[in-house]
Amino acid sequence: MDLYVAALGFGLISVSVIAIAAVGFTMQFGITNMINLAYGEVMMVSGYAAFYVNRAGVNIWVSMIAGALAGAVLSFLLNRFLYAPFQRKGTNLIGMVIVSLAASLMIANVMLAIVGYYSASYVVDQGPLVRSNGLVLTTAQIAIIVVAVILMLAIHLLLRYTRLGKAMRATAANPTLARNCGIPTQRVIDVVWLITGALCGVAGVVAGMNSENFTVSSGAGYLIEIIAAAVLGGAGQPYGAMIGALIIGMLTELSAAAIAPEYKEVVAFGILVLVMVLRPQGLLAKRGALAAAG
Amino acid sequence: MRGYLPFKVVSAVGAILLLAACGGGSSSNAGLGSGPLLVGVLAPFSGADASFGPRYLAGCYAAALSINGAGGIGGRQVSCQQFDTRGEPADAVPAANAMIASNSNLMGAVGCTSDEASTVVPILDRSHIPMFCMTGQSEFNKTSAKYFHRLVPPDSFDAYAMIGSALFGPNHAPYKRIALVFGDDIGSQNFVGPAVAALKKLGVTIAINQAIHLGAASYRTEVAAMLLTHPDVILTETIGSAGTYMKEVKQQNGGNVIPFIGTSATIDPVWFQQVVDAIGMTDFLANYTAVDLRLSLSGAGYDEFVTQLTAADSKFGGSNALTYKGKSPTVHLYDGIILTALAMVAANSSDPTVYNPKIFDIANGVSGATVVNTFQDGVAALKAGKSIRYVGAAGENNFNQWNNSQQGYNLVTMDKDGNEQVIGQLSEAQTQQIIDAGGNA
Amino acid sequence: MNSYYAATLLVYAGVDIIACLALNLQFGVSGIVNFSFIVFQAVGAYTAAVLSMPPDTANGGYQTYVGGFQLPFPIPWIGGALAGGLLAIPVGLVVLRKLRSDYQAISLLVLSVIANSVITNVRPFLNGAAGIAQVPGPFADQVNPLTPSYQLLYVGLTVPCVLLVWLVASRIVNSPFGRSLRAMREHELAATAIGKNPVQLKMTIFIVGGVIGGLSGAILVGFIAVVAPSIWLYPETIILFAAVIVGGRGNNVGAILGALLVPVGFEEATRLIPPTIGEWVPPPNLIPAMQWVAIGLLIIGFLWFRPQGVRPETRRVFEGGPE
Repeated sequence: MDLYVAALGFGLISVSVIAIAAVGFTMQFGITNMINLAYGEVMMVSGYAAFYVNRAGVNIWVSMIAGALAGAVLSFLLNRFLYAPFQRKGTNLIGMVIVSLAASLMIANVMLAIVGYYSASYVVDQGPLVRSNGLVLTTAQIAIIVVAVILMLAIHLLLRYTRLGKAMRATAANPTLARNCGIPTQRVIDVVWLITGALCGVAGVVAGMNSENFTVSSGAGYLIEIIAAAVLGGAGQPYGAMIGALIIGMLTELSAAAIAPEYKEVVAFGILVLVMVLRPQGLLAKRGALAAAG
Repeated sequence: MRGYLPFKVVSAVGAILLLAACGGGSSSNAGLGSGPLLVGVLAPFSGADASFGPRYLAGCYAAALSINGAGGIGGRQVSCQQFDTRGEPADAVPAANAMIASNSNLMGAVGCTSDEASTVVPILDRSHIPMFCMTGQSEFNKTSAKYFHRLVPPDSFDAYAMIGSALFGPNHAPYKRIALVFGDDIGSQNFVGPAVAALKKLGVTIAINQAIHLGAASYRTEVAAMLLTHPDVILTETIGSAGTYMKEVKQQNGGNVIPFIGTSATIDPVWFQQVVDAIGMTDFLANYTAVDLRLSLSGAGYDEFVTQLTAADSKFGGSNALTYKGKSPTVHLYDGIILTALAMVAANSSDPTVYNPKIFDIANGVSGATVVNTFQDGVAALKAGKSIRYVGAAGENNFNQWNNSQQGYNLVTMDKDGNEQVIGQLSEAQTQQIIDAGGNA
Repeated sequence: MNSYYAATLLVYAGVDIIACLALNLQFGVSGIVNFSFIVFQAVGAYTAAVLSMPPDTANGGYQTYVGGFQLPFPIPWIGGALAGGLLAIPVGLVVLRKLRSDYQAISLLVLSVIANSVITNVRPFLNGAAGIAQVPGPFADQVNPLTPSYQLLYVGLTVPCVLLVWLVASRIVNSPFGRSLRAMREHELAATAIGKNPVQLKMTIFIVGGVIGGLSGAILVGFIAVVAPSIWLYPETIILFAAVIVGGRGNNVGAILGALLVPVGFEEATRLIPPTIGEWVPPPNLIPAMQWVAIGLLIIGFLWFRPQGVRPETRRVFEGGPE
């Protein structure tokens, strides 16, 4: 029983890591209609940015800000110089996915050429181990959970209570109508890429802390759990992504405790398949997810 | 009477004269041909295993410099070229075929890891390219590929050696409860079966046999489960995820690392760096041991290797050659290429069907053979009409009938620079006991 | 150029052409964004493998897999094709229902990753990460696979398959069935209004595409004698999509051109990037990394400068209709 309680605690960390990333990913999709397969690579690049700052002696939590900045800038540039031009040209959804995959290939390999294949690892003061009722977590891990909660709250406040958030939701629901109502959709989209890019950056640093070390090929590994969480919750739905992250994060750890650990991802994805069968548009349906034809 | 000899006679005489001139006189190198020679480094240089290729390339650079510095192979200069298999079999097939098709002067190939060996070995074999492969897969334990050579231990034997280390290793009492932590990758599959069989037969408790999903973000629950079984020692490989796993072990075990024994594949700069970053140098040095094929890392052969590796470092800036000084794959492949070169000189032929069998002879040495440690010495001895045995940077080799070099095992660790240090050996009797228990693969 | 390399390029081209024709039917003509396409190729390869392999105690017994029936050609290839079709049924039922195409797309993407993960981790099923090796190709008993004659034989087996698939694909595209598919792709509501059943149409073409995709996998595995999870990761599907789009979606010639350009052309030509530039020897990983960057640039370049594809779909205009 102790193992399950511990797994629950570990699950919280996994949830936090996935949630930060998945919310950013799903917002990119929801507002700009972009399935950004380069998302994992941007996480990796941000992770490396924070790594260099951290190695220069800066505390990891401050380095995380460097990572967030790197993620924001890279995502913004990616959209400005690659995605947006293609979208303006009228490239369809699938073409955009292919463009994003090509981008991810290029980013990962340019990083390989620059950084090499050695793994990177942060200098983190884990702090004292907190043991309570079977939970075993270090202070740093608890801090990660706190960061995730803060970011989720921030997104929630942004979307619900700020004008920018309302503009984002309007753009997501119907860009043309939003524009006609006077919302500067172009600028909104730019801001979205900056914000989600920052989320992506933080996610990259947190993922690096979570796994202890990462390499230039870690990006692809991150992407899959993120997509799974986003799809589970309903693609384009930030709250859905949080729920999806919760389910996937918890399930992977609990099934590692209950069943053989090599199946832990399989179990989580199995739940995803189940949801896809029973409720294919995800748990929180986005309006328009269902096709018109009967 | 005719004034001219019939054309037939002239050409026949001419042919005879020509043959006499080209014939295998030891003073003539005509049998070796002319022009540059190429060693192909056929390995992953991109993708998840991008770290493999460069360390093999470094060994090739060193070998090429050693050979060329001694005048080359009959004057022919050796160079190295990388051929990226991209880490998977479907991409490896065109890479191997392109390598062969575009280079008629291939003298040998090195690399061929578990990622691609199954497809690539038959391709190289049918084109008669002598190869030195870095795969421990069991399917090559009794291979029929004549051009295949392996200087690394088969994975199953690695497993036995690790058990030997757990039971008979120096500086500790025999461990009683053993945890097996291996991943779902290609290599690991070959360890677990033999290890479990051997341990059961020997009556040692397997605390837990845990298979983990390599590349997962974290292993907290797995480590918690493992710690609940209270093992004395962890046998592991987990390439790419070892740091992640061991960090959790240290953290959840109250800052204490459990002793862990790695396979020969863990003697690797990337693995070293990941785990040291995870648990710190002190804990690493105190708790890590591994096994490796008997490797001498000293003597004239090794000195020559280090000299050439240093030269390669400056000549091929960016290759980081010198970081591979104590890394067994680099050392082994260097030896493999030198063996191939000496075989060519000994057979006085650039035809692989002629010189390939000589590799075996020079590695094992026929009776009365002169021991040589460098290419230069080998060529000199051959010139003096002697038969040679090459004992190179990694020490002696003993090929069995399937060109697997079986040399017994060293128990090793790594020093603070990641270089291999021998700390003990298993005796023949101990090794045999475990092999018998596990079943000869 | 030797015969083995030539044969490799030809067989790979054949496999990619067949795969792209299948994908063109599913995506180009019918608009189904099957981001799990590579799984169909994998299923065909694994099925062909377990049908043609001896029981898993053979070859030293170091592999564990189901099947091992040691069946002769052409049964493994037919089995592979059928397996692809059979897989299409449950996948289609799950995904082809009332879903927006991009939701379908990422759901299928995740499905392909799940499949890969399951095969890797459930080792006794299909030998896990190591995959199945030493798969006997067709007629491997009669003709030694390590000879040039076998290469010729293999090309000789592949080419008729390519032609057959092209024939079938052309028939479909130019038939009333094809017209219904295009109508459904262009305007599903209108197509339904005139009595076409989109779900049924989609399922049919999905299964046909699955059969053809399975065949391509069977052909590949017989040639390289190995099938492993590393061969069918999700980016492979995207590469095939790029091929169909770069070549020109919706028409078979476009699919063939795309197959020759992207998986064969881009991926193989980049191997020819020279390893040294004059005196300078670049660090080991640099050139291979740059090869991948070149592939990405080529794809983006084609999508930018020629988005309609090298050979665009012919617009079928009817005389007398509104312009």
